[in-house]
Amino acid sequence: MTSLSSSPSHTGIEAVASQSHVSWLRRFQPSSLLWIVLAVILVLLIIAPVGALVTKSFTDPATGGFTIQNYIDAYGKARHVEALINTLYMGAAVVVLSVLFGVPLAWACTRTDMPFRNIIRVGIFGAFVMPPYLGGVGWILLAGPNSGWINVVWQAITGSTEPLVNVFSFPGLVLVMAINTYFTVFILVSAAFEMINSEMEDAANMLGAGPFTTAMKVTLPLVLPSILGSALLTFLISIALYGVPALISIPARFPVVVIQLTEFFSYPLRVEVAAAYSIPLLLITAGLMALQRKLLARRGFAAVSGKGGERRIVKLGKWRWVVFVYSMFVVLLSVVLPLLVLLMAAFSRSWVGGISLDNLTLQNFRYVLFEHSSSQQALITSLTTGAAAATIAILLALAIAYIVQRRLLPMSGALGFLAMSPFVIPGIVLAIGFYAVYALPPVGLYGTYLILILAFTTRFLPIAYTTGTAGMRAIHPEMEEAVRILGGGRLTAISKVVGPLLKRTLASGWLLIFVPAAQELSTAVFLVGPNTRVVSVVLLDMSEEGLLERLSALGSVLLLIIVGVMAIGVRFLGRDFMLRRT
Amino acid sequence: MLKNVLAAAAFAALLPATALAQSEDFTAYEKPLYEAATAEGEVIWYTSQFTTEMSESACQLFMKRYEGIKCSPVRATGGVTFQRVMQEVQAGAVQGDVFSTNDQSDLLELKKLNALEKFLPQSVEFMSPVLKPMNDDEGYFFVSSVSPYGIAYNTNLVKEEDAPKSWSDLTDPKWKDQVAISHPSFSGSAGLWTLAMKNLFGWEYFEKLNEGNPQIGRSTADGYNLVVSGERKIAVTAIALSRQGEAEGQPVTTVVPSEGLMLPPSGTGVLAGAPHPNAAKLFAEFMLSEEYSVWLRDLKRYPLRAGVDTAEGIEPLDTSKVITVPVTDAVQGLPEVQDKFRDIFGI
Repeated sequence: MTSLSSSPSHTGIEAVASQSHVSWLRRFQPSSLLWIVLAVILVLLIIAPVGALVTKSFTDPATGGFTIQNYIDAYGKARHVEALINTLYMGAAVVVLSVLFGVPLAWACTRTDMPFRNIIRVGIFGAFVMPPYLGGVGWILLAGPNSGWINVVWQAITGSTEPLVNVFSFPGLVLVMAINTYFTVFILVSAAFEMINSEMEDAANMLGAGPFTTAMKVTLPLVLPSILGSALLTFLISIALYGVPALISIPARFPVVVIQLTEFFSYPLRVEVAAAYSIPLLLITAGLMALQRKLLARRGFAAVSGKGGERRIVKLGKWRWVVFVYSMFVVLLSVVLPLLVLLMAAFSRSWVGGISLDNLTLQNFRYVLFEHSSSQQALITSLTTGAAAATIAILLALAIAYIVQRRLLPMSGALGFLAMSPFVIPGIVLAIGFYAVYALPPVGLYGTYLILILAFTTRFLPIAYTTGTAGMRAIHPEMEEAVRILGGGRLTAISKVVGPLLKRTLASGWLLIFVPAAQELSTAVFLVGPNTRVVSVVLLDMSEEGLLERLSALGSVLLLIIVGVMAIGVRFLGRDFMLRRT
Repeated sequence: MLKNVLAAAAFAALLPATALAQSEDFTAYEKPLYEAATAEGEVIWYTSQFTTEMSESACQLFMKRYEGIKCSPVRATGGVTFQRVMQEVQAGAVQGDVFSTNDQSDLLELKKLNALEKFLPQSVEFMSPVLKPMNDDEGYFFVSSVSPYGIAYNTNLVKEEDAPKSWSDLTDPKWKDQVAISHPSFSGSAGLWTLAMKNLFGWEYFEKLNEGNPQIGRSTADGYNLVVSGERKIAVTAIALSRQGEAEGQPVTTVVPSEGLMLPPSGTGVLAGAPHPNAAKLFAEFMLSEEYSVWLRDLKRYPLRAGVDTAEGIEPLDTSKVITVPVTDAVQGLPEVQDKFRDIFGI
């Protein structure tokens, strides 16, 4: 803006120069052209794979004609139905645990005088950076029934021969999932807590309610819609995870949908049956998402507003330490303990060898960095495809958000809806759709970087769009109008005003996508070729053989790089770049 | 081996000095193949027959001999590897060159789909007489490794006299929560083992085994690593792993079950439409070289060539008691076995 007001001559020249530009723009309506381009991109990225999935599920693989046989094959077996029921059951349990972890921590970090709030925040941040399958490996090292660290210590102390905890069980599976997913609850609920003003809480206090009564009776009901919304989101994320079930649910003998899907993808390869099997999952997630929209739309409490109202933190008194211990407990379970054992295993000859100089080695790192032929390449592939997907997704999302927010065209809402829709598509289901449309001839993108980048872009488009919309909302149209009044075209307004103002949104959105995209497993699992293996897939292959020390080493390298990228982001964007958004 | 000295000299003149020493012992057959393969520059090897580490080391050996050709192993379980190859075949975009598996029925399926090149290495003639008959009789794939299944146990946790002696000992209630097996839908050799045990004892065996709550891994190697770490005391696994581990000083040893070792010969075929066809053939040829057999022997595995003896203390295959599953039986029996296994073990 300074350039606009302080150098009128410059603007004047520009205005003259863009005179012809303006008339050209008026005739061609570039925004409608853009609308068409964006719509085509979204159709290719979202409608085509999902459409192919639905079509395939009704297609007879032999004749190409219509059939419902795929559904009979998919659901004609008690075991297959059981896997679906198990998955829903597991998802519900993960939601309960995530809420128990996420909500108190969100409250403690945003609304109370709990000590060391920043340490807790950094810890929770770790849960975002740590991919679920590495958390899973950490917990196998901690709670393997016979040689897991916790059990070894427990048996040494008590003399018991029975294990205390067993990760290869339903509770183990749920815990490992929840230590990753509670982050979503934390972020969304924190955002809601930060928008509440304190007057109602003050009223409750004046009427004699203690801090906990106030929290339960006043604060909690105010954030309930966000809790429910984030709970549904957690449900969607957890039922679609692939890595954790592959590590844990097989030894735990707890069949779930994603494992069953890989069975349809093994021999004989039945893409059609896999498609049919994933349709109910898609319908369930779509139904839940609709429910969530309804719940969030009901958020009509006047107390929850973007601005105004004073917000004070609650003084917990002696309870502040109790709250701190609970928060620390969650951070220990979710980040500190698994990360610690992972690092220890990475530097050990044998992870059961204990802490001693004899057991200390750098060999695992040498192996994964220099001797293992594909992990170096895989690290590069993960980072570049992650970066490419993040870049494409954020640019695409901002373009859509701009059109939707400025209501440039009548049908713009449809674009926004489409951009959000991948939320309901579980990653592995998306991969099957992508495989059906883009891997097979005539497109034939199997095993290319492009198919991975496109699939990752689609998968994380909703995050990009949410960030983009939030960023766009913060820019008042009057600044662009000023440009227009001074004679600049819309493109000038975008490049000189909107673009610079969105830098921060661009960067934080990019990071929010890059981190999960560089670690993505569920979508990659059916789309990688021998030359395009990403780190997550290499780690999965290593986990089959139980090479936990080497897996830990490679996982640590990946984490280190991602933390490095995040650190650069934090330096430029400030520590709270991802905690102050919805 | 036949050496064509003249051609070697002419060829050597074209190569950098570093390659000179190796090029001298190339056979007349090998040489043009090597040249063509060098032009292709790479070979991608889909394999489940070895662990990741062994696959890497086999590739290192290949790259040392055939300088200028990058060898990239892609190691996963038989089930996962086959799934990836099938996806490529279905997509009409074959990206791998050579496919190795412990479950030869996968190779038969690929052959049926015309996804295999009709190719056998020239060196099949030097193969051990026990193994040669197990090659595909129409010349589409050959035996590229032998990793019999036996029992491995942790020597810190189990005394020798207590250790199981037979396959049927594994169902003994005293091993409750202590046995590790692998899943036939993931591991190819586990599929054959399941079929072999079913043939020996019937499904009752697995029902009893299930009462002992075995840990079910995806790969055969997982069971071995569980035993080394002490997470489980006993594993049904490829004895090559436990023999090699014991030689390296790991707390593990091998039991040859009294009913016999379960023998799944690993097979290798060159994929039709491979992006690097000559490199693929050269790699297949390499797998039957003397060098490769010596390497196998040094890792306590069974050599493939007739002229190379087994390592000290390991009984040669022709005198060992082995249980085999004919590949045609495997093709027919495996889907049912995988299904029944899932029913019994609930996963």
